[in-house]
Amino acid sequence: MSPEPTSLLQGTLDLLILKSLIAGEMHGLGISRRIQQITSGTFVVKPGSLFPALHRMEEEGWISAFWGESENNRRAKYYRLTKAGTKQLEVETKRWGRVSWAIAQALQAS
Amino acid sequence: MPLLVKARSFLRNFFSSRRVEADLDQEVHAHLEMLTEENIRAGMPPEEARRAARIELGGIEQVREQVREERLGNWLHSVLSDCRYGLRQLRKNPGATAVMVFTLALAIGATTAIFSVVYGVLLRPLPYPDANRIMAVFEVNSTGGRSHLADPNFDDFRDQNRSFQTIAKYNGYVVSVSGASQPTRTTVAHVSPDFLKVFGTQPVIGRDFSADDAKKGAGPTVLVSYGYWRQNLKSPQDLSQPHLKIDGAIYSVIGVLPAGFHFPADVDLWLPADLEGENKSRTSHNYNAVGRLRDGVSVEQANQDISAIARRIHETSSEQGDYLLKDGIVVPLQDSITGKARSGLLVLLGAVGFLLLVACANVANLLLAQASVRNRELAIRTALGAARARLIRQFLTEAFLLSLVGGGLGLLGAFWGVAGLVGLAPQNLPRLDNVSISIPVLVFAFLLSAAVATGLGAFTAVRATSGDVRLGLEEGGRGQAGSQGSQRVGRVIVAAQIAITLVLVVGAGLFGRSLMKVLEVNPGFRVDKIVTMDVALPWMEDPKAKAGQGIFFSNLIDRLKQIPGVRKVGAISGLPLEGDGLPDGMFVLITQNEVPKTMDGFGALFQPKERLGVADFGVATDGYFQVLGIPLIRGRIFDERDGPNSPHVAVISESLARERWPNQDPIGHTIEFGNMDGDLRLLTIVGIVGDTHEYGLDAPPRPTVYVNLFQRPRSAITLTMLSDADTRLVTSAARGILQDLNPEIPARFRTFSQVYSASLGSRRFNFILIGFFGITALLLATAGVFGVMAYSVSRRTREIGVRVALGAGSGDVLRMILSQGLRTIFIGVAIGIAGSLALTRTVESLLFGVTATDPLTFGGVTLLLVGAALLACFIPARRATKVDPMVALRYE
Repeated sequence: MSPEPTSLLQGTLDLLILKSLIAGEMHGLGISRRIQQITSGTFVVKPGSLFPALHRMEEEGWISAFWGESENNRRAKYYRLTKAGTKQLEVETKRWGRVSWAIAQALQAS
Repeated sequence: MPLLVKARSFLRNFFSSRRVEADLDQEVHAHLEMLTEENIRAGMPPEEARRAARIELGGIEQVREQVREERLGNWLHSVLSDCRYGLRQLRKNPGATAVMVFTLALAIGATTAIFSVVYGVLLRPLPYPDANRIMAVFEVNSTGGRSHLADPNFDDFRDQNRSFQTIAKYNGYVVSVSGASQPTRTTVAHVSPDFLKVFGTQPVIGRDFSADDAKKGAGPTVLVSYGYWRQNLKSPQDLSQPHLKIDGAIYSVIGVLPAGFHFPADVDLWLPADLEGENKSRTSHNYNAVGRLRDGVSVEQANQDISAIARRIHETSSEQGDYLLKDGIVVPLQDSITGKARSGLLVLLGAVGFLLLVACANVANLLLAQASVRNRELAIRTALGAARARLIRQFLTEAFLLSLVGGGLGLLGAFWGVAGLVGLAPQNLPRLDNVSISIPVLVFAFLLSAAVATGLGAFTAVRATSGDVRLGLEEGGRGQAGSQGSQRVGRVIVAAQIAITLVLVVGAGLFGRSLMKVLEVNPGFRVDKIVTMDVALPWMEDPKAKAGQGIFFSNLIDRLKQIPGVRKVGAISGLPLEGDGLPDGMFVLITQNEVPKTMDGFGALFQPKERLGVADFGVATDGYFQVLGIPLIRGRIFDERDGPNSPHVAVISESLARERWPNQDPIGHTIEFGNMDGDLRLLTIVGIVGDTHEYGLDAPPRPTVYVNLFQRPRSAITLTMLSDADTRLVTSAARGILQDLNPEIPARFRTFSQVYSASLGSRRFNFILIGFFGITALLLATAGVFGVMAYSVSRRTREIGVRVALGAGSGDVLRMILSQGLRTIFIGVAIGIAGSLALTRTVESLLFGVTATDPLTFGGVTLLLVGAALLACFIPARRATKVDPMVALRYE
């Protein structure tokens, strides 16, 4: 039983995409499924959010795109992490750490 | 590195957008296929799988649009599409678009042209390093006016001040110069040796004056302007050769000034001042002064400094009286050059600004009318999800297109307009050669267009997109689009237009009436059929040499009388209506045995105040009064009795007789006026002549003493010839005669009508321009009234049809439409009259013979404006009466 899907927080989508690409190059559907998997089904990324984010991140230079063959010999667009993307992942990870710590603190406060 | 990636993405998005789009399309489709396959693997039937995949994707077109919005450079794409859309809109109404573009071009062009004059004359910094540190220094006289400096006063300013790095004096006058390619009448300046240092400039060839060049008795040296060096000296690199004969003395050329250096204006030669020693009088005001402030010293500080020195002189000087300075003043040089032109030019700028407002109002009305037709389109776009901001941007884009095209055309017009303005401008407008379409003027034109665009765009956008657009859909369906609201706004605009136009036309009326009043002034002399001839012999101090010049002029006059067609010939030291007029000074009523032997005893005469008088000092011949038709009131004018060795005589003007000798007969009185020409012989008053408006038709006549040229000769005079013959024949004959008598002396010829006409130059300039702006505004406002009324009638066709069907006669309809128009017109006129009363006060100093609230002008202009506006209402109103109820009810 997967938990109820949750809508993504502002800024977390980039982090999740970068994180999922650590495993290697992937096409859009792959990334979407990978996010679902690593968040235990908490986040389901719709194409309407995924593709704009991918294209934006490509333009930022964090990921690069190329055409490749899918598992079923279908032409698909693959994405991979660039050097700048790896750095960005570190930045985003740190930021997220701070945010989640702060939120946890806030919720614990009596 | 990421920046590079971004730049590449931006360029790719922009230049190969088709490939980017195809790529995206393929990617999304591949995604859909993969989703479908996934679903099939999960065991769904193919049809079901495809449907589920589509649902998960959420619409191919939406996904693509979302990606597009994220793309770099998306804003540029949308701006371009706004522009394309805007152009299509503008093309849809070619007539209205042409009218709007033309109106804006006219207004922006006129504003730009006037601004280029204002910029070139008033704003553009003088072309010297740190020009804002250069100051003009004046004495302040007993009546509070600024006056030139006397030598000892200048010396005290120079030696005692703590505010100036350098301070120099200069003057300027026209002399005959020979020794170059041909004899010329050239304006020269006598300057103190630090003159160029004040301006931070140096000769480009040769050297500046040294202190030795200015010492008493030094060899005469001269600096020449770049233009003079090229044209008259033929550009020699070696300056040891050229010598110039100036005022009878030989000068060595020591330096050539840079091409841009023109100070004082029109001067081509600079000579050291006081080579024959300084004038010791503190009341002979012979020089202007300029200085460069020390670093850190403010104008205010310099002013206090100079003022303290001046007041000290005033308290301690032995030369008391009206001509001794009372105070001193320091003003930025630029202000002192342009001071007189400032108010007139600012009035013109204000007037053209009003024209611009009237023009914008017309365009705003046209845009509003179009916008109300577009209500439906706006409603549809809103229904399809366009945000209000997006619609406002669409309106702004269209306004920018209009204004930039209009502004561009206007700028082209301004190039032509500036040439016209420079040609039309009065000759005494300073720095006129600076006026051109320069970079700051271009920037101004662009900013002005942008401001107009923003104003118009924001206005129409806010008007058109306010309220509930769904109403637009409904109302549009009934063919009565957005009528009420936009028509009310249209009427407000028209009322404002009428108000502004009224102010402008009242201004034009006041300037026009002033010009007429000036022309009605009897100048006190004849203007037509007079040829004038300026001649300058070398300046002489020695009485014998001066007497020789008197004989020279006597011979010249005799020869000129022989020219066929020339009836009478005279001479005067300074023509009326020109330049600074005659010099003025103090005379003393004394008898023969009180006459001092030398000028040193002269100051002592100014003691008992009752014996003093003040007058202008003119040197003339009897012929002068005959040529100009200045009437003899009583006594006689000069004749053969008045030779150089007989008792010297004077003729005085009527106003002097009235003011100085009230209830007495001045004829027979003797006066001492030797401080004007150094000749201490008494003058016996022998006649009284009519007053003349020396200083311009709009200035009151000044009390004047005329002495006889043959008794009191001087070197520079203007000959006046009354002739029936062709001016060119007289001119060439006179030139030949002068050439014959002295080939080194050139002359300048003009007709007296030219002098007269030039003296009215600035009044004519103001009147023509403001009149032009006023008429243009009047036409625009009339068109505005017509447009709004015609639009209103066409919108109300159905209503009128119903009224007619219910029994309203054509008179009722006419009255209804006209009264609606009249209300708008009267509101506008009322505001306009109030505005005019407030604003015309600011131009009061430029008016003559009319008050700023002249009832005739106000009444006439109001009638004119109401008449024109009513006419503009009448045509649509007539059309309304022709409405056929059957047709009207079927309308649309």
